[in-house]
Amino acid sequence: MSKKTAAILLSALMLVGLMAGCSSTSSSSTGGTSTPATPGSTPASTGSEAGGDSSTPATGGENISLRVWGPQEEQALLKEMCEAFAAENPDNTYTFEYGVVGENDARDRFLEDPAAAADVFMFANDHLRDLVKASALYEVTRNRDDIISRNVEGSVAAASLDEALYAYPMTADNGYFLYYDSSVLSEDDVQTLDGILAVANENGKKVFMDVSNGYYIVSFFFGAGDNIWLEGDAQKCDFNNEAGLAAAESIKTFTADPAFITGEDAIITGGMGESIIAGVSGVWNAEALQEKLGDNFAATKLPTFTLNGEQAQMGSFAGYKLVGVNSLTSQPVAAMDLANWLTNQENQTKRFETRQLGPSNTAAAADPAVKENIALNALAMQSAYAKPQNDVLGGFWNPAEAFGNALEAKDYSVDLQTMLDNLVSQVEAG
Amino acid sequence: MKNSIKARRRFGNGVVYVVLAALGLLWISPIVYLVISSFRAEKGSFLDGYIMPRGYTLDNYVRLFTDTDQFNYPRWFLNTFVVAVCSCIISTLFVLMVAYALSRLRFKMRRPIMNIALVLGMFPGFMSMIAIYHLLKVINLDKTLVALVLVYSAGAGLTYYITKGFFDTIPKAMDEAAILDGATRFQVFWKITIPMSKPIITYTVLTTFMAPWLDYIMASVIMKDNYQNYTIALGMYRMLERESIYEWYTAFCAGAVIVGIPIAILFIVMQRYYVEGVTGGSVKG
Repeated sequence: MSKKTAAILLSALMLVGLMAGCSSTSSSSTGGTSTPATPGSTPASTGSEAGGDSSTPATGGENISLRVWGPQEEQALLKEMCEAFAAENPDNTYTFEYGVVGENDARDRFLEDPAAAADVFMFANDHLRDLVKASALYEVTRNRDDIISRNVEGSVAAASLDEALYAYPMTADNGYFLYYDSSVLSEDDVQTLDGILAVANENGKKVFMDVSNGYYIVSFFFGAGDNIWLEGDAQKCDFNNEAGLAAAESIKTFTADPAFITGEDAIITGGMGESIIAGVSGVWNAEALQEKLGDNFAATKLPTFTLNGEQAQMGSFAGYKLVGVNSLTSQPVAAMDLANWLTNQENQTKRFETRQLGPSNTAAAADPAVKENIALNALAMQSAYAKPQNDVLGGFWNPAEAFGNALEAKDYSVDLQTMLDNLVSQVEAG
Repeated sequence: MKNSIKARRRFGNGVVYVVLAALGLLWISPIVYLVISSFRAEKGSFLDGYIMPRGYTLDNYVRLFTDTDQFNYPRWFLNTFVVAVCSCIISTLFVLMVAYALSRLRFKMRRPIMNIALVLGMFPGFMSMIAIYHLLKVINLDKTLVALVLVYSAGAGLTYYITKGFFDTIPKAMDEAAILDGATRFQVFWKITIPMSKPIITYTVLTTFMAPWLDYIMASVIMKDNYQNYTIALGMYRMLERESIYEWYTAFCAGAVIVGIPIAILFIVMQRYYVEGVTGGSVKG
């Protein structure tokens, strides 16, 4: 196969020679470079009448085709919502084209070929900075105030960069918390990590946490008061200070505990109710764990851990899923209206009802049904101790994973302070 | 004395058999695990503390073909099958023709072309995948199955080497005899060489048929978000994402088992030529 591809390159090169004429026309039709004039003028007029959901463009009767990206699980729902959008705006004829791109892949897929990317797409908030840097996102100018007021503060902050709003908050559920088996652990037990471990050891059971993953390991450092932030474009991290050392000691004690078990998601979804009685994970595993535990399914905020002999609350990352509009779209007004529609209260409620995704819309989140959802309720409890992930650059994950791996392997050949110093210097070097 | 030699040989053989048996078990175990998982009733990819499933079911297989809203397995299977058949036919013809020309005809650029092809063949194909994607986009073929057929078969001629080696072993006297009888070059190729080349044709058919089933990276670059045109490898990988792995892992295993079926059928039908083809072609080229 490998040889074939090299040859197609050659033959295609010849083809390009022949088709040099066509190439310029076809790219300009997809790029839509001629249109940006329209959106530039709209924000001024619509900014004042924010809140109106019937924001149909003045010119009716247009044929508007939009490409929408959403994850696999959302496709059916997405179709339903888009068709409802078309029905709400009968002045124009809409045709939708759906692409399957998950929130976590959207950034990479987008950057591979922005011109071929969707007009409206869903992505995870930790990719916002990269997308903005690549000028991939249309700044949200239509209904801006309404969007800000109807969504929870954290989600708006996660969708903004330097005061400018770049995306529409869709869910507020991309975080982690503690799941536990309520037939073994009581509500008191799960308050402290020591309490959980004690019960686990008594019963010969395990406690799950993927410590060798920067996403989860930060909960100890955040609990100790450490932080990771940006100064200009430079990543800063103070995990190697005194508090960080204490947190690292706590991690070391935890990973050395006989009840500690690590691994990927499959371990907790497979082991819960068998050998695992408690574990740290997110809503994406809620359904699986509920099936495993049945009536004993329970979740709460992360426990406290012993830091220098005192109890400290474990922190976490809070993640949001957002909807963005491609800056290269040829239909910015319609795309913005669609993004707005996909994230409004009604559709967030619908998303919760069909997929159990936690709404970022305050009114939708206030729904009693959302409050009764065990996993989302736990996430809401944890959110008080959570930080958004926006200011964490890509250079953080590998060093953090290496640090966690060393502790999980009980490799104490290097002292903790040196390990932390290495971690910080690698993270800051990016 | 005689006895002890026999005993020693028997012991030696015993050791060899034990080692081979152990290796054999080791090699077969992932496949056994896959098949067992595909019939497993419990969901999830990890079983805590036990290996054999607690319950067996056919639902995983049924589900692949009925629950197609999220993962359209039948469609992907068909996509891959069509691409595999098309690219198999095209590339087999390509390879045979190129190999025949290089083996039988003498022309000025023959040596240089063979050398260039050899060097080109040493570069891994995915090096050029982004370029290929953009070229396909220019001619409006991105995200189509036609593009996949093109990618898998267009460069087939480069793999002429083994086939040419095989053709070289067919006596030239045959060709000459046919030409004396008034056959054209094409008739020699079609009526003399091809019927004598079953082993190498088998080999080419098998390898080219398998490529689309195994390839992930090329397909993912070309298909992007066009879910309906995914190939099996691309689509099934989606089942293993964070949100769906628990629910779909056993179905994924079932899907993997089914993928094996067309390839296995082709192998069984053609296998008696296969070994001949590989060894026959490796005679000095």
